[in-house]
Amino acid sequence: MRYMFLIYDDEDEWDAKPDAEKMAVIGEHMAYSDALRKVDAYVAGAPLEHSRVGRRIIGERIDNGPFADSKEQLGGYYMIEADNLDAALDWAARCPAASYGRIEVRPLWNIEG
Amino acid sequence: MHAMILAFESPGDFARRQDKAQYKAYMEGWYAYGGSLEKAGVLKSGGALLGPETATVISLKDGKRVVEDGPFTDSKEQLGGFFIIEVGSIDEAAKWAKSCPAAKEGRVDVRAVPDDYPIGGE
Repeated sequence: MRYMFLIYDDEDEWDAKPDAEKMAVIGEHMAYSDALRKVDAYVAGAPLEHSRVGRRIIGERIDNGPFADSKEQLGGYYMIEADNLDAALDWAARCPAASYGRIEVRPLWNIEG
Repeated sequence: MHAMILAFESPGDFARRQDKAQYKAYMEGWYAYGGSLEKAGVLKSGGALLGPETATVISLKDGKRVVEDGPFTDSKEQLGGFFIIEVGSIDEAAKWAKSCPAAKEGRVDVRAVPDDYPIGGE
């Protein structure tokens, strides 16, 4: 079963980090991705640019970011393969983002027909 | 550039997934939309998520797991699916997002995916 990890974190907190600390976090994500790949659990993933360069569409309206709805914004995602939710949560707990943000874990919808 | 189209669907849309009478029309909207992205040559990947009732939020506090049921945000619209597209600009991505079925009753966020990053990819 595939699961999506939606990483929510505080963009201002990230901006305030010194470069060395940012590089360390990126390194942790690289190691985490490698660990997933090693057991063929990695499917996809990407970080996202800050929401201030995003767009929000509601009906016919297009708003520019940042989005004021929450201090924490979607900062990136992983998609992984796991046997069940417990296994997926074990992987999510190991994700570096679990320490500096919160991760929403959602099963993928396997659409048939 | 790559952009992520995030389709936040309304409770009505999630209900249509479970409604025999409305399921077909609901799905056809998504197939048509995905087809239009594909035909234009901008579609890279995509996926659909099971409903927000299947969501679990996890984080670590002082090294200990904090697990909560339910989606991260309590907003009415919840993420139902996504597309990764390759386009010339974020505004071009927003134009594509406008015709996404979720824009009608829910909302669609468009986010830029950095191209020169040592992590991510498929």
